[in-house]
Amino acid sequence: MNDVLREEPTLDVGTLRQAIQEEYAEVASHPHKGFHFHTGRPLARMLEYLDEWLDGISEPSIESFAGTGNPFSLGELRPGERVVDVGCGAGIDSLVAAKQVSPEGRVIGVDMTPSMLEKARQAAQEAGLKNVVEFREGYAEALPVDDGWADVVISNGVLNLMPDKDAALAEMSRVLKPRGRLQIGDILVQKAVPESAKRKIDLWTG
Amino acid sequence: MGFEITWRKDVFSDAPQAGSAEKFGTLGINFRARKAANEEEWGAAMAALSCEVPAQQSAEAPTEKQ
Repeated sequence: MNDVLREEPTLDVGTLRQAIQEEYAEVASHPHKGFHFHTGRPLARMLEYLDEWLDGISEPSIESFAGTGNPFSLGELRPGERVVDVGCGAGIDSLVAAKQVSPEGRVIGVDMTPSMLEKARQAAQEAGLKNVVEFREGYAEALPVDDGWADVVISNGVLNLMPDKDAALAEMSRVLKPRGRLQIGDILVQKAVPESAKRKIDLWTG
Repeated sequence: MGFEITWRKDVFSDAPQAGSAEKFGTLGINFRARKAANEEEWGAAMAALSCEVPAQQSAEAPTEKQ
């Protein structure tokens, strides 16, 4: 009897990042297209964002919102605090954070998708917050932020998209000050995902 | 430290496109934690997490000394 051992294809991180980037570039450029997740202001209401948090934030930023939770429900940020928003997308959470920590506080939003960053920078300009919030291109697994810079790290619907979650969490820890807070919205699955399914790019993006 | 999930909710139902969320019972969650103040606090937290598994008794081993 011949036993044929077929090796499962491994997950290619570059291909996965590209697929995720393409998906979220679509959310940036065509936010009303309809995705496998909710978007925009209706999603923000579903996630219990207060309307007042969104005051002054431009609609193009809000309509590309694609979070899965509400980092601000875990505690409002204090004026003067420094915040890193990992996977900031079109910037809605960075801008909510900027309003809470301004004028002395600072926010750094990090995302790997240039079209999202473009929307975020435009929204910061329109909200009059460009001196409080800065958007940087980068990966969650290699945050472009100094060690121990942040009082708080926030993130929303991003950690689940990281193939190396340990590396992403280690980076969040690195940029936090001692006693710094992690306030994350993300997802959990109640049924185990088979190892073979974890290697399917389509499952990560849909 | 202080990891806590504070909220969970089905945030994918009725999304415009069907996805894999229903298949895996995917929920949106909020969670929080904080970085330890120092190595000592971190070490104490890790020690509190450790657990000892009692060695299994061999079926042939006597349970009491005669």
